[in-house]
Amino acid sequence: MSYKTKEVLRKLVVHGLLCIIVAFCLFPVLWMSIISFKEVGESITGFNALRIQSPTLANYKRLFELIPIWTNLLNSAFTSIVGTVTTLFFCSLAGYAFAKFDFPGRNALFYFVIATMMISPEVGAVPMFVIMRRVGLVNSLWSLIIPRMATAIGIFYLRQYMLDIPDAIIDSARIDGCSEFGIYRRIVVPIAKPALASWASITVIARWNDYFWPLLYLRDSSKYTLMVSVSMLPVSDGLSTPWQVVLAGTTLVIVPSIILYLVMQTYQKSGQVAGAVKG
Amino acid sequence: MYRKSMSLVLLVVVSLVMSVFPVMAQDTYPDGKILIYSTGQPHFRELFYQPSIHRFAPNVDVETVQIETMHAGVQKIAMDNLAGAYKDMPDVIMLDAVGIMNLVDAGLLLDMTDYWTPIADQFVDGAVLDATIDGRVWALPDAVRPQVLFYNAAIFEEYDVDPAMMGTFDGYLEAGRLLKERSNGEVYLSYIDPTTYTWRYWGRRGLMPQANARIWDENGNVVIGEDEGTKLALGFLDQLHSEGLLYRTTMMQPPLYEATDQGKIATFYIGAFWDEFLRRNLTATVGDWRVMGAPVFEEVGTGGAPVSTYFCVVNKGDDTYVDLFLDMWYDFSTNTEERNAWVNEMDRLNGPYSNPVSLEVLSDPFWQEPSSFYGGQSFRKAEADGLFNPSPNMTVTPQDNEADGIISAEIEKYVAGEQTMVQAIANMDKELKLRIGRAEMP
Amino acid sequence: MWETLRKHRHPYLFIAPYLILFLVFQLVPTIATVYYSFTEWNGLRPPRWIGWRNYQLMMNDYMFSNAIQNTFRYWIVGAIGIMGLSLLIAVLLNSKVLRSKQFFKTSTFLPYVCASVAMGLIFRMLFEEHAGLVNEVIVSLGGSRIPWLTTSAYAWIPVVILFIWRLTPWFTMIILSGLLNISDEYYEAATVDGASGWQQFLRITLPLLNNILFFCFITITVDAWRLFNESHILSGPGTSNTSLFELMYTSAFTNFKLGYGSALGVVLIVILLGISLIQFMVRRRTGEI
Repeated sequence: MSYKTKEVLRKLVVHGLLCIIVAFCLFPVLWMSIISFKEVGESITGFNALRIQSPTLANYKRLFELIPIWTNLLNSAFTSIVGTVTTLFFCSLAGYAFAKFDFPGRNALFYFVIATMMISPEVGAVPMFVIMRRVGLVNSLWSLIIPRMATAIGIFYLRQYMLDIPDAIIDSARIDGCSEFGIYRRIVVPIAKPALASWASITVIARWNDYFWPLLYLRDSSKYTLMVSVSMLPVSDGLSTPWQVVLAGTTLVIVPSIILYLVMQTYQKSGQVAGAVKG
Repeated sequence: MYRKSMSLVLLVVVSLVMSVFPVMAQDTYPDGKILIYSTGQPHFRELFYQPSIHRFAPNVDVETVQIETMHAGVQKIAMDNLAGAYKDMPDVIMLDAVGIMNLVDAGLLLDMTDYWTPIADQFVDGAVLDATIDGRVWALPDAVRPQVLFYNAAIFEEYDVDPAMMGTFDGYLEAGRLLKERSNGEVYLSYIDPTTYTWRYWGRRGLMPQANARIWDENGNVVIGEDEGTKLALGFLDQLHSEGLLYRTTMMQPPLYEATDQGKIATFYIGAFWDEFLRRNLTATVGDWRVMGAPVFEEVGTGGAPVSTYFCVVNKGDDTYVDLFLDMWYDFSTNTEERNAWVNEMDRLNGPYSNPVSLEVLSDPFWQEPSSFYGGQSFRKAEADGLFNPSPNMTVTPQDNEADGIISAEIEKYVAGEQTMVQAIANMDKELKLRIGRAEMP
Repeated sequence: MWETLRKHRHPYLFIAPYLILFLVFQLVPTIATVYYSFTEWNGLRPPRWIGWRNYQLMMNDYMFSNAIQNTFRYWIVGAIGIMGLSLLIAVLLNSKVLRSKQFFKTSTFLPYVCASVAMGLIFRMLFEEHAGLVNEVIVSLGGSRIPWLTTSAYAWIPVVILFIWRLTPWFTMIILSGLLNISDEYYEAATVDGASGWQQFLRITLPLLNNILFFCFITITVDAWRLFNESHILSGPGTSNTSLFELMYTSAFTNFKLGYGSALGVVLIVILLGISLIQFMVRRRTGEI
């Protein structure tokens, strides 16, 4: 086989495999959005689901009657964005400390942080609620933000990335009289941008999709996040919401997160350029 | 000094005003809102409550919060109680018998006996039966809905089976056999669900009370293993299932609705609430459906057991709006004109509603009106008739929620074909004894 | 003491927010949970101390042993599936011959964006026995219908498929960011030496991804043992596919057995700590830390 045919073959395999994977990734989502445009009563089982006879927006209209979409959307956006910004800040600060400082107890503390990754906070949900109440955050969107402003897993991820930052840059900045926080802000953050961006996109989506905690802490529909409102459509006792409407709801939950992700992607792209420069 | 005399003057003025306008003064409430937890889609209720409450107190609003299950509501109140957050509690919550029991046990509900007793005779019999503990009434009825039999009349006509034979469970079984035979196995008598709904709708709310079955004896000991009623109830379900008369699919999911619309499923033996589910999800068989009373076991002779839901006033140490809520509840229950208008609105919006519990409202011709979904039969009247000759509900204990989980797990394994019904019942007995031991009888 | 603290005040200050939040929102609730695990408590009456009784019940509880087995299975199958797939996808995405890279990157990431609650509902329909698309495809290929969610033997499969489907993109992205950091020089040198693509993958890519793969494995472990939404929505008969976390949730919040639920939570923590301890011991022995 010549080099050229080998290249062509390689191209074929790579693209072919990825196309199959993409099909599997997209299919359930497409399936969901197709059904959300079908009339109630049209068959949605088996292959019928994919045949759409008379597309309708009625399911979405119904959804807007059922739940306060705009308020819920705003709540979701607020908790996801503020939650992500705060967690990025505190995690990267701590990650930087673990990666680039030598101080007594560093290793012990770091192992401790890793060990705490293993404790699911959900295990202590009941006492957690009591604490939340004490600090007056029940039924407040801040209850979803404050406890997770700094997470072990975020610290771990960012620390791993920051290990690769050359010490020399930091030392020279220190010699130039830059403050410690200034070094973090002007040197560490720009270099760590790709890691920060990928962590941000993951966090923002996880927060958007968060279900357990909002359900526990939030008490009325004007405070609910979109995820909670939509998830209540089918599970609630005595409900008979047709699937088309439920899937319209899930589509409405998923579309903003896709948009959010695409926005993050553009950041990430510029971040990668910056990351490549340092190499 | 000045201030004191001013307040004195004010007091005199206020008391003068109060004596001149007694009605208004009585109904003066501070600005605020009544918070109601409810399952279903309570915001449809707001369409009634909001204008209703404004008639009594223009400055007070109603806010409803949807909870996933009544249990989740009890859990939220329990958490508030735990955290000492009485202010966060709702003023009112919609509950069933188990929920009432749990909250009464914790002292979190207000006693409604004194309010209820003088008005009791305006309502259907047994309206507060499940809300009565030790002779005290702890909640006000919202709906009492019977177990009924929905059937697709077109199927029965096509295969020449007389629906009237389904007056007894023997006849019901026979109808199933005929339909299966004459349709070459195309038509199933009914459904069986692989999840928790089989126990809930076929078992706890259906066959079990009608067969007089018991989980606990009067001392709270587990007796389900040797109980004759349980054997009758679950044995009958086993008979239907083992003869292949039940279509196995999950409740409230599109495949069930589609199979139903294709004429594969002939009947539903289930609570009257199913009406709304059918109306919302079926299109091809509209007009074919009819309703009749649940079949009876000849050995026992009583009809379907009613499922009741209640509004409970939460004991949160603040009774500012209790009277106002009672006024509103009474208005919703007994104001024929407004109630009927609201039901019409619900019909238009495809919203949920159930029969009223007030005898006076029920006697209005509106509640006998024919329904096109049922080919001209009046569903509302059929629902009211379904309450005749009811079987008493199963005894409820605070442990019944957990018991439901344990029992359902065994039923689910039975439906999956992994054990026989006899084994399932034996395992229920064993597991209930291991995990609960003894229930606290009310 | 003070002197050291003052000298190193910056790193301590940087870590302090985490430690404070951990103390208030994790350590205190966890300790309280340990206490509650020795009580009988329905959340309404005061808790009653019952010693080890909850743990004894666990030993006789078939639901508990089901849950442990299921979760273990989700963990192992999930870890193998996710790590394998995400490595494959990341390598494909990193391939130099790939055109429209951005499109493939974005679309393969899509599953992670989708909420597990919503996807659970969809998977449930796809795996429905009579009318689900999966069975329809199997039948049209000449197979027979599989009762995915209605028999104990199969009920775990849709759960693990959803778990893998949803989480693979996350790890793909992390592994890809690791691949991007591997300098081309390594590969160029290897190509000159005549190493094949597969050999390059084994000798260069994997070792250099070591730290990242370790991170992935820990994360999958935590995620698998916290699996809840997937199995809760795609529930099979009884506890045939219930996860440990789900059992804890239903015990505490559906059955109001907060004591027993807490005990299950404690077991969950102990298992996770045990697993991570073993991982670290292994890595320390092989000199990787």
